[in-house]
Amino acid sequence: MSPPVDRRMIELANVQRTFKRGDGTTVQAISDVSLTVPEGEFVCMIGTSGCGKSTLLSMVAGLLEPSDGSIVVDGREIDGPGRERGMVFQKDSVFPWMRVIDNVEYGLKCRGVPASERRAIARTYLQRVGLAHVETAWPRELSGGMLKRVAIATVFANGGKVLMLDEPFGALDYVTRHQLQDVLLDLWDETGGKAARRTILFVTHDVDEALSLADRILVFGTGRLVDDLRVDAPRPRDTDSLLQPDMVAIKHRLLGHLGLERPTGRAVARGTAA
Amino acid sequence: MTPVADSLRPRLRSHRLRAGLRSAWIALDPLRLFGVVLFVGVWQLCTLMLPPIILPTPWGVVSRLSADFWSAPALSYYGVSEANLYGNLLYTAENVVIAVAIGAAIGILSGLLSARFALFRAVVDPVMMTAGTVPILIAAPFLLIWFGVGRASAVCLVIFYVAVILYVFAGRAARNLDPIYEQSARTLGATSRRMVRDILIPATVPEILGGLRIALAGAWGLEAISELLGAQSGMGKVLEVLAGATDPQGIMATLLVLGLTAIVADGLMALAVARIAQWSAPGR
Repeated sequence: MSPPVDRRMIELANVQRTFKRGDGTTVQAISDVSLTVPEGEFVCMIGTSGCGKSTLLSMVAGLLEPSDGSIVVDGREIDGPGRERGMVFQKDSVFPWMRVIDNVEYGLKCRGVPASERRAIARTYLQRVGLAHVETAWPRELSGGMLKRVAIATVFANGGKVLMLDEPFGALDYVTRHQLQDVLLDLWDETGGKAARRTILFVTHDVDEALSLADRILVFGTGRLVDDLRVDAPRPRDTDSLLQPDMVAIKHRLLGHLGLERPTGRAVARGTAA
Repeated sequence: MTPVADSLRPRLRSHRLRAGLRSAWIALDPLRLFGVVLFVGVWQLCTLMLPPIILPTPWGVVSRLSADFWSAPALSYYGVSEANLYGNLLYTAENVVIAVAIGAAIGILSGLLSARFALFRAVVDPVMMTAGTVPILIAAPFLLIWFGVGRASAVCLVIFYVAVILYVFAGRAARNLDPIYEQSARTLGATSRRMVRDILIPATVPEILGGLRIALAGAWGLEAISELLGAQSGMGKVLEVLAGATDPQGIMATLLVLGLTAIVADGLMALAVARIAQWSAPGR
């Protein structure tokens, strides 16, 4: 049974989250966010530091409970973490006490996939992230960029329909960051058909990263969804495509939201709300 | 597919082999060897000035060791049940192994539990911390009242000591574990049982083994001292009767046996740590 096109994968309805500070005051990290993400969409979430985008991601991952509202993924209201939702963290989360291949296999092992089968799957993904040669290495022997490749291979190997990445490339150098963006897009595009694509939520600080990756950019500010922009440019997006007038207009608009640019009449894009 | 530069290729050569070679090199370091030779030389010089009843010669101690190891009839005369060093060493070693095993089990389990359950910690922490600050040897006479001069009193003392050390090490290791690993395991679909088996235990093993090594090193001394205070066999008992007989050569031979055993045990432990905790930083 092939899913219908534009099937809803993630549905957030009036999601709220408050935190209690040490001094007893409450902070509203997320206030009343509602949005729908169709299957296979690559969504980038952008906003200034502390705007709540990482909190929202943790809630969709099931690591945090919303104070109010509901989160439905693939038709089911979520209750804690689930393997249909993979997560790549900002910090290094590769287990240092397992060899690289065992790390990539770990989710499959938890699910009870037979050893030979899961090894084959893990090998495939390690190869696709360009790490076939370090299969039996210990994580401490790898560079930061390689560890991120392992983390990405791990979530893809686990076969989740929704993948969440929380500023995954923030700590990497310029070249490595761009290499990994390509790796990610390559994996996302896996079999080429739209039906096979995973749904991706990608939190970033980097406007250019969002522009080169996303189908859609959600802008957050102080716990609210403040803008919802569609990016229709074809992939792969090279330097030239980022300089197209549409892209530049979106960039101006994003920079405006981030408080880096005052919106001028010339630079305002026609954002299409989905 | 993004190609990975060859420069990113990690150092995959066996770390274990290199670590082994390095420790062998350190052991054979001429400077270290020189230190031992210097010590023995100064000792030999001193014996020229002091009577053997105060300071026996190095060679005298070694030959006494090799003579007493398998048979020391004098010991039975003084009331030691085993008339050789070998049997007494075995007795002491058995007690150390039993006590370290039981003490480690208690300490590790309670340490991990206290790191995970605040209630458990609130109850156990004050007891363990008080136990840790009391000089444990003062409990020895008290344990002798309870258990008499058999194995039990010495073993109890060592269990107590080992449990406190491992409680501290295991608790700290578990509290220092970055929550990112548990979060990551949860999103990958790990059950709580798997989290204990695949995350909590392997992540804390290097630090716990480090604590075990410290506890083991201390256990030899504590076991011998408590035997010295009251036992029928053991290296401590041997030392006690030899002190009573004013026999410095015998005492030094016995101490040498005990010391060498402790060094060998520590070396084996270090090897085990290096093997089990291969994943953590080399050369720890």
